[in-house]
Amino acid sequence: MERPHTVLRVSLHHPVPDPTTFTLVPPRLQHDISPLLVGRGPEAHLRLQLPHLSRRHLSLEPYLEKGGSLLTFSLKALSRKGCVWVNGLTLRFLEQVPLSVVNRVAFSGVQMVVRIEGGTSLEAFVCFFHLSPSPLIYRLQAEETDEWEGVPQEQPPPGPGPQAPGPLGFLHGPSQPSPGGATEIQLQREPQDRELC
Amino acid sequence: MSSFEDADTEETLTCLQMTVYHPGHQQNGIFQSRRFFSREKLPSSEVVKFGRNSICQYTFQDKHASRVQFSLHLFKKFDSSVLSFEIKNMSKKTSLIVDNQELGYLNKMDLPPKCMVRFGDYQFLIEKEDGESLEFFEIQFILSTRSLLQENNWLPQKPIPECGNYLSCSTQGNSPIEMGENEW
Repeated sequence: MERPHTVLRVSLHHPVPDPTTFTLVPPRLQHDISPLLVGRGPEAHLRLQLPHLSRRHLSLEPYLEKGGSLLTFSLKALSRKGCVWVNGLTLRFLEQVPLSVVNRVAFSGVQMVVRIEGGTSLEAFVCFFHLSPSPLIYRLQAEETDEWEGVPQEQPPPGPGPQAPGPLGFLHGPSQPSPGGATEIQLQREPQDRELC
Repeated sequence: MSSFEDADTEETLTCLQMTVYHPGHQQNGIFQSRRFFSREKLPSSEVVKFGRNSICQYTFQDKHASRVQFSLHLFKKFDSSVLSFEIKNMSKKTSLIVDNQELGYLNKMDLPPKCMVRFGDYQFLIEKEDGESLEFFEIQFILSTRSLLQENNWLPQKPIPECGNYLSCSTQGNSPIEMGENEW
């Protein structure tokens, strides 16, 4: 009996309405167990037609945690010039992070939300792509407040060590579950970059 | 301006030295497609595959080997300026042993700077030499005609001795030897 595939539900949005940007994005893509490449070049499995995108901009790599039975994914930045923003962290060339169940990703103006639904097949995984006309991630506008007014809830905790994602982007709509990435991604770098990639 | 003046500043490359051993190599030429001692330059964004299949950069002429046995992935740690390596077992049939750790299918781990990687009769002593470049790295193969486990007294569970080198600090004679009660 065939085992069910792990499914990646990928929503994509670009703020500039250009019909060519996502023309090569299929509605469904089944991929083997090798890293899935996202970029502008012909070797990319998910090709986006954006001039500032690298030929190989990022990869989604499936693997198994020790003792695990479901595929886990990590996202690695492959662009030497650009960067990739993932769940509040800015990744430069060859930096990588493990993904959570729901992940907010931004690169070259593209907003991408990846939701992972576990399956037991270890042969391949399936991506379903959805093009969103509305933004998936938004930045909170800075508001002028007096000093003694409330501190924003999502402000990173003070001091060194892992930081919470910060007030950069949130999933659009309250129905989305929390990605929970802040505790799983144990990184020792402060998120200095204040802009989405 | 001359091309010398115009050229980019040269950076040293991270080098992964892999000393390989298989008892059947001399008879069956398992590593025959490998150029030993020469350093090969590879882009660091590439996944380096080892196995029997021709899609692998480094192939084993051995029907016992999996089509893709294992792969090496390069990455950069957040707190580091040099390249790091991950090793992933791509074989459904054979476990990959990295020092003392056993990796099952699709399990991966960070490669220590010096480690022994084994599967079946294959032995790889992997030593990483850090370089400045993030774009490229080098890989160099050295063929050993002797078992690396014996040659290096490979006892990975023991701490590295003060001289910092397993090769020069033999632990032979210091380890308890298993023997039967009547062997005295």
